[in-house]
Amino acid sequence: MTTLPHLTRGRLARVNGVLLLLLAASIAVAVTLGPVALDWRRVFGSEAGVGPDAVILFRARVPRVLLAAIVGGALAVSGAALQALLRNPLAEPHLVGISSGAALAAVIALVTMPVVLGQALVAPVAAFLGALVSIWIVVRLAFVGERVEPTTLLLIGVIYNAFTGALLMFINSVVDLYQAQGVLFWLMGHVGTREYSTLAALGLYSLAGLALLLWHARDLDCLSLGDERAAELGVDVERARRMIFVAAALLVGAVVSVSGLIGFVGLVVPHLVRLLFGADHRLLLPASYLAGAIFLVWADTVARTVLGVTEIPVGVVTAIVGAPVFTYLLRRERRVES
Amino acid sequence: MESRATGSTPALAATGVSFAYGARRVLRDVSLDVARGSMLALAGPNGSGKSTLLTLLAGTRRPVSGAVVVDGRPVAAYDRRALARLVAVVPQDTSVGFPYTVAEMVLMGRAAHRPRLGLEGPRDVAIAERVMAETGILALAGRRITELSGGERQRVIVARALAQEPAILLLDEPTTHLDIRHAIEILDLVAAVNRTRGVTVVAVLHDLTSAAMYFDRIVFLRDGEIAADGPPRTTVTAETIARVFGAAVRVDVDAEGVPAIRPVRSRP
Amino acid sequence: MRRSRAWTFAVLLVSGWLATAVAEPSPATTRAMPARIVSLAPSVTETLFALGAGARVVAVSDFCDYPPEATRLPRVGSFNAPNVEAVLAQRPDVAIGLPSPGNHENVLTMRRLGVRVEIVDPERLADLPAATRKIAAVAGVPDAGERLVATMAREMDAVRAKVAGAPKPRALMLVGQDPLIAVGPESFLGEMLVEAGAVNVAPAGEAWPRLNVEVAIAADPEVIVDCSMGTEAGTATLEYWTRFASIRAVKDRRVYPFRSFEALRPGPRLARGLEELARLLHPERFR
Repeated sequence: MTTLPHLTRGRLARVNGVLLLLLAASIAVAVTLGPVALDWRRVFGSEAGVGPDAVILFRARVPRVLLAAIVGGALAVSGAALQALLRNPLAEPHLVGISSGAALAAVIALVTMPVVLGQALVAPVAAFLGALVSIWIVVRLAFVGERVEPTTLLLIGVIYNAFTGALLMFINSVVDLYQAQGVLFWLMGHVGTREYSTLAALGLYSLAGLALLLWHARDLDCLSLGDERAAELGVDVERARRMIFVAAALLVGAVVSVSGLIGFVGLVVPHLVRLLFGADHRLLLPASYLAGAIFLVWADTVARTVLGVTEIPVGVVTAIVGAPVFTYLLRRERRVES
Repeated sequence: MESRATGSTPALAATGVSFAYGARRVLRDVSLDVARGSMLALAGPNGSGKSTLLTLLAGTRRPVSGAVVVDGRPVAAYDRRALARLVAVVPQDTSVGFPYTVAEMVLMGRAAHRPRLGLEGPRDVAIAERVMAETGILALAGRRITELSGGERQRVIVARALAQEPAILLLDEPTTHLDIRHAIEILDLVAAVNRTRGVTVVAVLHDLTSAAMYFDRIVFLRDGEIAADGPPRTTVTAETIARVFGAAVRVDVDAEGVPAIRPVRSRP
Repeated sequence: MRRSRAWTFAVLLVSGWLATAVAEPSPATTRAMPARIVSLAPSVTETLFALGAGARVVAVSDFCDYPPEATRLPRVGSFNAPNVEAVLAQRPDVAIGLPSPGNHENVLTMRRLGVRVEIVDPERLADLPAATRKIAAVAGVPDAGERLVATMAREMDAVRAKVAGAPKPRALMLVGQDPLIAVGPESFLGEMLVEAGAVNVAPAGEAWPRLNVEVAIAADPEVIVDCSMGTEAGTATLEYWTRFASIRAVKDRRVYPFRSFEALRPGPRLARGLEELARLLHPERFR
């Protein structure tokens, strides 16, 4: 009846449905790949229960692939939200220093807290607080009056990254040698194998963050136009911004405390999704989550299989893939605008 | 001050408002009543405080002193959603950093009318289509706003404001990027909306001739104070323009009462 | 006149060079029996004390915790980053250290500033006697050095004898859990593992291979020696392994925490640490 192209329930269902299917397929394929070749009979078939194959699959591989999905989704959707909030398509938690702020907080907590005292609980909370503080600092610094120039934001991000990075290196220099090595490796981004209970908790954190963002999806659309524009369109800017900060901090904190610093996911994935499906956040947010999950599942699969027995940090894979893709997207945008 | 014959409460009222950016005073003790269903033009030199006054009337900035009342209630008493259903703004800066489509941009005007979680319904879409037809951008519906020219963007923003179905429409230099045909179309549209739906209009305009043609009341600001206030025939005069702008002009009023403003050159 | 200007310039140049040469402290004369020794590594400290030269040790590195007398000595920085100024302040006749990833620059600086720095490098077990002898020579007690080398060899042989002939369990030794960093055959710790009578299941080729946990599961070690941080503090980190129930070591409850960096220093107590490790691998031989 109407010819006006707009977001319909059908489109939401279709796009997210397809992405969900792709994610399921990616997970299914990813769990068949790994440095150890599995004997599938021993997992499902006639000799089920004999040998380590089932343990490898269900206790080592599946949790890891699921973690990659959760982390990838959280990174992508928080990147999308930060881009709207900072009114800058170049924003992402890694680039603007929020992840390293979260990492710094987590490392400080891990290094200063006695080892026994619920280390598993302390790190995520510290990372969440670190992310929150970092968001607050970066936003305060990046806004000059009403506007955020892209170059200003990048500069603030670089400076903040350098600052938190320096503090991290300082900490590394005062702890003993192989605690430092562990921290360094974790800083490069690592999707590890976790207990299912940890995955469940992370999944809940992640979904809570996503839900909070979805609740503010329309606000994000308006906020991406500017604070004054958003107010004119009916958004309670202060309140919305606060809640979106909390949601992004929740997502970034949860991810960083578990997987360290993985960059480019929050930058590249929302861009691609915007390019393919449009900028309306009601679709952008869930689609980014799913696309980010797919992206990191594959990136982690490469990270754990490409060199055989030895692993490379997943942050290296996302950077190697992400940097050229992002450069291409950036140039494309420039060409269109000129 | 003019008000409608019914003598109802003014749509907008500013009483003794002042505003400063840091140490720089931009508005000094300005009081203004805007009658319901009237069309008011704000004019004045750059930096006289016109845009700032508009933001105070819109409620997006708070005056340093004084009060702003919208539809009889203090502006601070409204929650933002309710205010957005009443007042729509067409800002001067129309740049957008993200590739929303034109349709998406216009539909954002419906955000204050819709619940948080939920997509636009058939009525919203119908309203969007109507305002897009009225602003002549229906053909651009699927285009990304980042690809449009300044003039096309301006029309999209006007459409968005109209989609809010406001009772009060505030415009800040709505015709700067438009060529003469589109400028006329927009002003015709705004006048029509005022006439048929009784929407109160306050517009900041540079072009005094258009202001004189379309608006029944012009308020001149100078250095943050009201310098002149009245119908075009009394305010758009060489004497007022010299006083407000410091520019020497000649004003010839034609048979229909429309002034033609011509600069007086100091050299032959 | 140009000539006199050229001469002035030359004189200035030469005197400047002379001045820097004179200003630099001359390198300390090598003494047969240095009176002030600074130790830059825990194993060196232990060796010096075992040689009877403990009285002449004036300062040690941060983590030198044995023998107890060493804990009362002033510190000059960590094994990885010795503090040049602190070392200089001790006016040492010689500083003795091990090569580490971070201390190369500092050692060069110390030498340039006139400190005699001797580096010993017991990278493999076979290098340890030579390293011990060198420390003894530098400290001026070569005879004590020979005696210590003999004692250490005897103690090591005693441990080897205890486990000789026992079936060698397949063992995995780790220094990190997440990511999994194993002890490879090409490392000192890897050699210790073999000396203690085990087969190292970690893949060859690297000193510290970063493993995917799948590889560890597939290798199915009979014993897991987990030296990663936190294991000594409690069972929490050991529980990391319990979900991989197919691993023999998990089934037999042979996952042990171990403080390898303290127990297995390349110094006089090595045999004792080796025995601790052997005890984990061959409990039946130590009843």
